[in-house]
Amino acid sequence: MADAHAVADHDTPAPTAHASGGHDHAHPTEAQYWKVFAVLVVLTAIEVAWSFLGLEGPALVLPLVVMMVVKFLLVAGVFMHLYFDMKAINGKLFTWAFGSALALAGLVYLIVFAAFEFRISGAF
Amino acid sequence: MTDIAAAHEDGAALHHDDHQTDGHHGGHRTSFGLSNMKLAFWLFLGSECLLFGALISTYLLSKARFITEVVAGNPNVVGTMPEGTLMAEFAESQSVEPMFDIPFTSLSSFVLLMSSLGMVLAHSAVSRGDHRNTRIWLTTTALLGSLFIGGQVYEFTAFYREGLTFTNNLFGSAFFTLTGFHGVHVTGGILMLVSLLFLSLRGKLNADRAETVELVGLYWHFVDVVWVLIFTIVYLIP
Repeated sequence: MADAHAVADHDTPAPTAHASGGHDHAHPTEAQYWKVFAVLVVLTAIEVAWSFLGLEGPALVLPLVVMMVVKFLLVAGVFMHLYFDMKAINGKLFTWAFGSALALAGLVYLIVFAAFEFRISGAF
Repeated sequence: MTDIAAAHEDGAALHHDDHQTDGHHGGHRTSFGLSNMKLAFWLFLGSECLLFGALISTYLLSKARFITEVVAGNPNVVGTMPEGTLMAEFAESQSVEPMFDIPFTSLSSFVLLMSSLGMVLAHSAVSRGDHRNTRIWLTTTALLGSLFIGGQVYEFTAFYREGLTFTNNLFGSAFFTLTGFHGVHVTGGILMLVSLLFLSLRGKLNADRAETVELVGLYWHFVDVVWVLIFTIVYLIP
């Protein structure tokens, strides 16, 4: 048992593995971080250019929203390690908990938005 | 006797396994497979999502109502800002778009994205015990965050000079509350980064505390993600 403690206490993380958080799994390399950063910068540049094209309505808004969601997913998935954590950990339970919380939050906002819209438009 | 020895060995093996599966600083892992600290931090970020979701929703609803009243020429709304200021441009364009300096805000967005890169590189460096690069990237991230805050102060001052304040109408209140709350979060993140830097300088930020840096990183990236939403929803979509 003493040996077991000694092994556990001096268990240092491998350079390419993430040893904190109770699980050992690979995280992106620095080169991958730079690539994601480059994609984020390019997407931001396209967003800004798109907003100056003089488009209106869905032609303006939809691409901007799509690019915003892609940027959101890249930061959350790669920089925040969510994509890698979800692959490595107790996937089903985490996915259900995360997904249901996200769905609930979305539903709450839809209801609040609808309530305010109806109130502003005088429907009730 | 053999059974007792086997049970003892099982107990020792279980104890050993417990230690191996613990996070270095996060304690026992949860049934999700994450450490307690990380799971708690994700729950905190979940509550932050609700906060910013509410602020963004409030902004959108307030802006729609404000523009409707401005276009209708409601004197109670139009009279909230001095003549010859942004209000005339709001009425003419039927949006709040004229107040924004998109190239400047794009630069701010770039600065914040760059800071997120600095944060992941700091975490990567601390994970492999590279103290020098940990300090370099923590300092870079904190400086870029400060630059972003400086830009926000400049922007707020410009809006104030053009007649839009926190209290003069619904739109001003919603805009300054949303972007101000974000700025406060960035400032909180900078303080965390400076604390990490001091820990590193005192030799207390080693590879076995990589999770501490990762948690601060989660907060920093969350702030970045919120800005991704604010930049598109508030600044780019009229």
